[in-house]
Order: sequence, then structure tokens, then C-alpha cells
Amino acid sequence: MSQAPIKLIPRNVAALRRGQQPADGARPVPGNPVSTRLESGVGNCFPGLECDLRNLERRFFPFLEVDIQDTEIDVISVDLAGVQESAGNGEISADTATTYRQISSGLSQGRRWTISQMRGTFGPLGVQTLVVADLRLPSTGANRLPPDAWTAIRLLTEGTEVELTLRQGNTTRSLVRNRARYLDDNGALAKMFLPGELTQSLCSPWTHDFRDCGCFYWASNHPDIALPVLPTPPPVTPEINTYVPWERKDRTVNTLPDPATIDTPVELSHYEINNRWQTLNFVLEGRETVAPYQLGKFTALKFASLAELVTNLRYAAGVELAVIHEYLAAAYSLKVAGVPATAQDNVDAARAELMRITYGEMRHVRAVNDVLRALDPAAFVPALGVASQVPAPLPDAFRPVVPRPATPEVIQAFIDIERPSVSVDGLYSRILATLEDFGSDETQQTVRSIMADGESHFETFSFIQEWLDKHSPADYLTNPNAGVAPADNALHQKLQEEYLALLERLFNGYALGIPAGAADINTARNAMLGTAGLDGAAEAVAAAGFLVAFDHIPDARFAPVDHP
Amino acid sequence: MMTPFAVIPGDSSAPLFKVFRSALGEHLLIVPHSRIFDVHHDANGDNDAQVLPASLAAALADTANGEVPLDHVVEPPPQSISLNVSSSCNLSCSYCYAARGSFQGAQREPMPWEVARAAIDKLLCGADPLSPVTVGFLGGEPFVNRRLIHRAVEYAAEEGSKRGLDVRFSVTTNGTLLHEEDVELLRKHRFAVTVSVDGGEQIQDLQRPASGGRKGSYEMLLAATRSLLADPGLAQIAARATVVRGEFNLRERFMGVLSIGFREMGFAPLRAAKPGGDALTDEDWPRYLDAIVEVAQSELDRGRQGAPIRFTNLAVALKQIHRGASSPYPCGAGGGYFSVAANGDWYACHRAIGSSMFRVGNNAALDLHQRREFLRARHVHSQPACRQCWARYLCSGGCHQEASSRTDSSCGFVRGWLEFCLAAYCELSVCNPEFFAPSARS
Repeated sequence: MSQAPIKLIPRNVAALRRGQQPADGARPVPGNPVSTRLESGVGNCFPGLECDLRNLERRFFPFLEVDIQDTEIDVISVDLAGVQESAGNGEISADTATTYRQISSGLSQGRRWTISQMRGTFGPLGVQTLVVADLRLPSTGANRLPPDAWTAIRLLTEGTEVELTLRQGNTTRSLVRNRARYLDDNGALAKMFLPGELTQSLCSPWTHDFRDCGCFYWASNHPDIALPVLPTPPPVTPEINTYVPWERKDRTVNTLPDPATIDTPVELSHYEINNRWQTLNFVLEGRETVAPYQLGKFTALKFASLAELVTNLRYAAGVELAVIHEYLAAAYSLKVAGVPATAQDNVDAARAELMRITYGEMRHVRAVNDVLRALDPAAFVPALGVASQVPAPLPDAFRPVVPRPATPEVIQAFIDIERPSVSVDGLYSRILATLEDFGSDETQQTVRSIMADGESHFETFSFIQEWLDKHSPADYLTNPNAGVAPADNALHQKLQEEYLALLERLFNGYALGIPAGAADINTARNAMLGTAGLDGAAEAVAAAGFLVAFDHIPDARFAPVDHP
Repeated sequence: MMTPFAVIPGDSSAPLFKVFRSALGEHLLIVPHSRIFDVHHDANGDNDAQVLPASLAAALADTANGEVPLDHVVEPPPQSISLNVSSSCNLSCSYCYAARGSFQGAQREPMPWEVARAAIDKLLCGADPLSPVTVGFLGGEPFVNRRLIHRAVEYAAEEGSKRGLDVRFSVTTNGTLLHEEDVELLRKHRFAVTVSVDGGEQIQDLQRPASGGRKGSYEMLLAATRSLLADPGLAQIAARATVVRGEFNLRERFMGVLSIGFREMGFAPLRAAKPGGDALTDEDWPRYLDAIVEVAQSELDRGRQGAPIRFTNLAVALKQIHRGASSPYPCGAGGGYFSVAANGDWYACHRAIGSSMFRVGNNAALDLHQRREFLRARHVHSQPACRQCWARYLCSGGCHQEASSRTDSSCGFVRGWLEFCLAAYCELSVCNPEFFAPSARS
């Protein structure tokens, strides 16, 4: 039975489920991250990288495809079917259709049709009539003209009228249409572009160019270094997780390549790579792959109910606040003055990175509150209670929250709490899995981004450990034995006041939501900065040899949260 | 996914889809897994969703990840039980399936504490800790055995919390015997309270008289439920009215019950009764459908404006359609749900106390063989009358106890009601999508 197609739009959750498989939606995205896809790539206007945007201009005028040189524009094809349809429904006149057909007919007989002149709105250069053959460098000063044909076309404002003068021998014709739209209403490439059209002019052979470009210039599916192919069964040696040069000359599969860290690794030469580029291995999830790709299993256990999800989200916000307390204590314990010259850069970097991570956790507090609000706007109460305990590296284990100076042991503890798949990351995995049932795509993406941050925090703490381990704690800590200031210490009290004021602002801002709460949230942000703000108060406490620590606040809004 | 102990294939010739219309236009229901699609026709085509290609329908009907195949027969752990705590009742409604709690002599005594505790222990030991656990109370009128209810609730709550379980409660009551201490108990725990009330004063007194006299129960109900309705605490309260044959003035009854202070109510038609009883007959079903649709339509109109839908038959159906509820069983009987008789015997269903076909074990152990036989026999693919019906995974054959009373006319009512609900779902999902947002109370 033949019939015209019908379109089915999913309406209920079960219909969506058939297409989207939400039950396993919280697994890792198969293969490489979105950053390796064409649409995330560095598109530019030169041959190279992922696409050549100049190809868009090949279809700037409806129904024509053109080749563009510096001072010449050749028509190479006419979309006669499109002309026919538009003529049929009255969008173009019969005369215009005839002109298109004449050009097409000429092309089919080997005659050359060129665009000799364009009148139109050339962006900032305004309305102009340009003779293509006259375009040349330099293009400067008042009354400047575009330097070449492609730039001229690129400047044409989308949707404005363009008049072309077309020439074949002594014959001239004129066509007037609006400059074509390159994207459709959904932001996708317009249908007129054929598959491969945007990449057709990439460098050839691109691999030669590729050999010259180091320093992570290329997209992540063309890496400088990658993890080596995993043999079966995988060996337990740590070298299997050491990066190796992707373009190494030795293409043997069964031996582990030399690590990328050795000086001047032996790589394929230009000539070799032109001939053997196909021997480069696919890289998926950072590792070279020679066998069919197997998707990893996602095992996070869902929470049983929305109520349990909410409880755990509130706890997650509390964990973020708790680690902020610990990270701030550690960051401010690092010296700002009196650091030996050999340690100065490392200590500065460690402190800056600790603070950067802390800012990240502050964003997480906000993000978790946003998720809570999205789940049930009517019942939403800001989650700003500090967790009494945070997840420890062992499964189902917790440890108390204690402000400590940034000693080697403490940095190790920070690495442990941010380690992927353990502790905090484990909590968010379960939250993410449960949000499949109760949350929107947006809330899931929010949690994904928190998890991605956690991974980067883990790496950063590892770097901090590496930097500080080169020095003695006495060189970088103001007071390696610092404790919390006595309760009546004026500097400590000032810090508590600043902190409470900050929390109250945040509470109001979160409670109101965006946009109404924006003013409060901004005020809270600003109150953290400068010598008169939380930062100044914390510096003063640290300079006096005490830890930056925050007292328990006797206020139900900020009451400690126990782990569920 | 749970491993099935049996697979009962459906009819390969059974309809895989049904086309229906709403104010939005044409829709497609994929019968397995209850997937709903909007149908958009190509402007130039003379196509027809009625002739959806079989291969496409089959592809859409495939079981997705996270869904349980509809031909699987599984044995989930018991997750909820009801305790038939009382064998008597202070009302004497003519249609009572339990004969006021005595189950035609099968349950002569109220449940002793040792039986209740053993049943609760058995439930808590075996339940899946990731899902809520429910302990329900039935009778007779459960509050005739008030002391047992209080003791059982405190015990289950405490034992449950020791085991990290989310223990919830339910009770079906006539609402006339609630004391303040009972109200406090209902408020303090997560109770789903179903109050049997048939309408306003006149119909309530007529259908639900006090036992041993001509006195109606309306005034008693009002007095006993006032404080709970005013402040339900953690309890969620719904009224449930039984409809017998006769005048179907459902709209009037609905408003009558709401005027007492209930925020939601639903109707249940009497399908099975003793000979000469008041069960609906073939002539009644079309009239009953009209009456229930009238109530539903006016509540749907409220829902479109963003107001709560107070008609539970409709509200529950809409939410189930939204998530794609689809099951070969009409209820949890013998699967995750069991009913415990006063003597400690476990039945697949609370309506079947005393019936050997439904007895599947006792407080000591479930009888594996009997339970499996029951689940096999009650699977919708085992019901010859249901295998070709498009509503087979939404209705699932209806109440096991009432299956024998099924007629073309009563099935016509179910399909008519589902068609109304399917269209209502499509319309409400556009007018008031918030209705389907997950709420904290799940």
C-alpha cells in the first residue's frame, strides 16, 4: 500500500521513551564529547580545521551555485527544479524563470556565465554597485570597496535585495532576488546545501598540514597525544594510562609505545603521514581504539522517590557549602607574603587555583538550588544548610567537616573528595539518574555540568599537590598549626557577620528566583569582594595566624544538614 | 529488570494501535506501552493513520529500555499488604463485598496483634528497600479494631525506619468511627485515607445505613470527619462512592461529597452482587458512561483553567496515561500486593478473603506454586475475552473479582471512558502541562 507519509509527534512520556530511552539516558554519551563534532569545531574561512565557511557563499543567490575567485564569479549550476516550483507558485516572474533557464541551458552547452556586476547592501559599506573585475587590495579609508569577490558577497545583508548582472560573451542578463538564507528557522543549514559541501575545500592532503600543527591546535578527535590502545585482557600496569604521541612513527600494536613525555618522540614525517594517515587510530574517550567500540555501563542507582531526590539534593547543596568552608580555610592558610622566591610562583598558583575551585563550588550551590526550584517551584525553600558530614572516599562512608590549613594531608583529602566515581561524584550520579524520572533535560544538564566540574577539580587538586610538594609546608603556610580563632576574637566575629549577611542575601535571592532575586544575588556576590567584604575579613583572620572558619549559625534557614 | 518465571505471548493478530481524536486533531495510541503520538498529515496526502504500516506500528510497540515486556510474568517482592483487622462494621450497606467484614463466615474474629505483627515483619523483611512499602487497613470497618491499628502503625513505622524503609499506610474506612486519637495518627503518618461515602445526605443515608436500625450514617460521618478534613496533616484523603443501578445523578452526588469538605472523590460502579442485587446491568452502562463523562467534562474544564481536578477517576487516569501506564494486570494482586486475613492467611486480593483460588500463603510463607498459578491465570493474555481488545493494557481485564460479571456492555463502558480520557489527556497536556509536572507528593 503506498501512501503519503504521516508525521508522528510524541505526546506522552511513553511515546518519548520509545525514541529517547530515558532509562539509560544518564549513561555517558557514547564516544567522544560534543566538542569533537563539526558544529563545535573551529570553523574558519580558510581551508583547514573542520569546515570552510566560504562554501556558504557559493549559494548566496537563490537557485544559483557559483565558483568565486578574487575578481571573478562563475555560475556553475542552476537549480531548475527550484526555478520551476517558484515560477509555478508565482514567487518569480515568467521572465525571471526564462533568464534562469537560459543560463542553465548555456552552462549545459559549455558556455561560461559570469557575474560581472552586483548591486546590493554590502553591510557597513552600504548600498553599492560593484564591478567584480574592479575589486582589489588595498581596501582602506573612506569609500573603500571590498577587496575581493568573496568578501563582497559575504558582506551582503541576508534578506536584502541583490541585483546581478550576468554575462555570457556579449549577452547580458539581469536577476533580482533577495540574498539567500544560509540557515533555516531551526538554525540548521538550509536544504540547498548538499552533504559534504562545507568540507569540500579543506586542505588536501589535510594530514600534511596536520603534521605541522602541534600544541593542541586541532580538535580533540585529532589529538597530539592519546592513551594507548587497550590490549585484551587489559594489563594492570600504570603505563596503560600514560599518554603517548598519537602520530608516533612506530605503529606496532602489541607493545606499549613510549610515553609522550620523552624528549622529541619519533613521529611520522610529512611524507609518511601523507601516505599512511589511515594508520592513525581512532580516538574515543581519549583512548586509541582499534576494535569495535563498546559502550560503558552506567550503574548509578536511582533514588526511590521525588522526596528522596529532594532530600539528597538538599544534602548535595550542603556538601558544596561544607567543602567551600574547607577550601576557603585551606586557600587563606597559604602565605601571601614572605614566600621564598623559589616557591612564590607555585604558592601563588596553588592559592589562585584553590580559590577558582571554591568559586566553582559556589556556582554549584546556586545550580543545585536551581534544580530544586525547577522540581517543585511552589514548595521550594533555598537549600543553604551546611552538611554536617561529607562523603568519604569509601562507599557509604562520611567524614566530618573540619577547616584545616593546606597541609599535604589536607590536599590529599581534597583530591579524595573530588575523585570521579567516588564520594561526591557518586552522589551526583544517583541524582542524575533519578532526574531522568522527575527532572527536565535542563536540570539533567545542570547536574552533568556539576559532575564535569568535579572531574576538573580533581585534576586541579592533583596539580596543586604537585606544585606544593616541591616545598616545605613552612615555606607556604602562614601557620602550619593554625586553629580556629577564639569566639571573642574581633576579626573572627567580623568574618561571621560578613558571612551571615552573605547567606541572608543569597537566601532572599534564591527564594525570589530569577529575575526578582537577581539584585540580592548580585549584592551577595559583590559583598564577597574587596577589603571591606568577606575576602578582606578572611585575609585579616588569616594574617592573624588563625584559620578562616565559619561558626554554626543558630538560624533554621542555615541549620546543618545530615546526610540522608 | 526482574527475570520472568513465565512468558505468555499475546495474540499476534491483536491490534497494535488505535486512532482517536481530540480537539487538537488526530492521535495515535500504540497499544503496548501506551504510547501516544499526534498525527500530522502531509498537506497533499490523502493518507490515513488508520492504515499505519504494520512494521511501523510494531517498531513503535517494541519494549523500550526500562520497560517490562508485557508478556512477562514476574514475581516482585511483596511491597504492600492490607490487614483485614476487623470482622464487623457499624454500618450495613447492602452491596458490601465483605458482608460487613465476616466474608460470609470466613472471618469471624478480629485480627489479633500477633498476626498483624507477623505479617508486618514478613513484609518489611522481603520488601525492596528502594521502593515505598505500604501497610493498609481494611475490614469490616477497620476502626472497630482501633487499638490494633495504632499498635501496628507505630510498630511498622519504627521497624521500617530501622531498616531504612519508606513505610506508608492506607486505610479504607466509612469515616463514622474516627476518634481524635485516630485523626492524630492519620495526620502524623503518610496515610492514604479512602472514606466510603456515596453522596449527599439523602443518598448516603439510603445506601449506607447504620446497622441494627433505620438511622442513616450521614450525620455520624460529618461529625467524625470534620477535624480530619479541616487539618489532614500528612494524610491524603479521598472519598469513594459506590454507584448502584438506578438514578445516575452523579454530578449531584459529586457536589454533595465535596460540600462535606472532601477535596477529591471518585465513583466505583457496583459490578458484582448477589442475585437480585443492585449491580449495573447491560442497559445501565451507557447511561453510567454519560453520567461519569458529564462530571469528568466539567472537572476537565476546571483543569484547563489551572484548577485542581477533584474527580479522582479522571485525575488518576490522566496521570497514568501521561506516563504511559501499561500493564497485563489491573492491580498488584498477587504481585506486589497481598491481603492478610485475620487468621494470618495471605490472599492475592482483599475482596477474596476465604476464596481458595486467591489464597497464596500465610504469615509463614508464600506458596510459590499457588502464587505462580494465580499470576499465570490472571495475566491479560490468558483472558480470551481481552486478547483482541485495544484497551487490554489499560484496563487489563478489570478487577479479578468482577471479571465474571464482564459483558459487552460493561466493556463498552470501559472503552468509552478510556477514549474520553485519552482525548482529555491530549487536550489538558496542551492547556495545562503543569498538571503533569511531578509533584513532591508522589
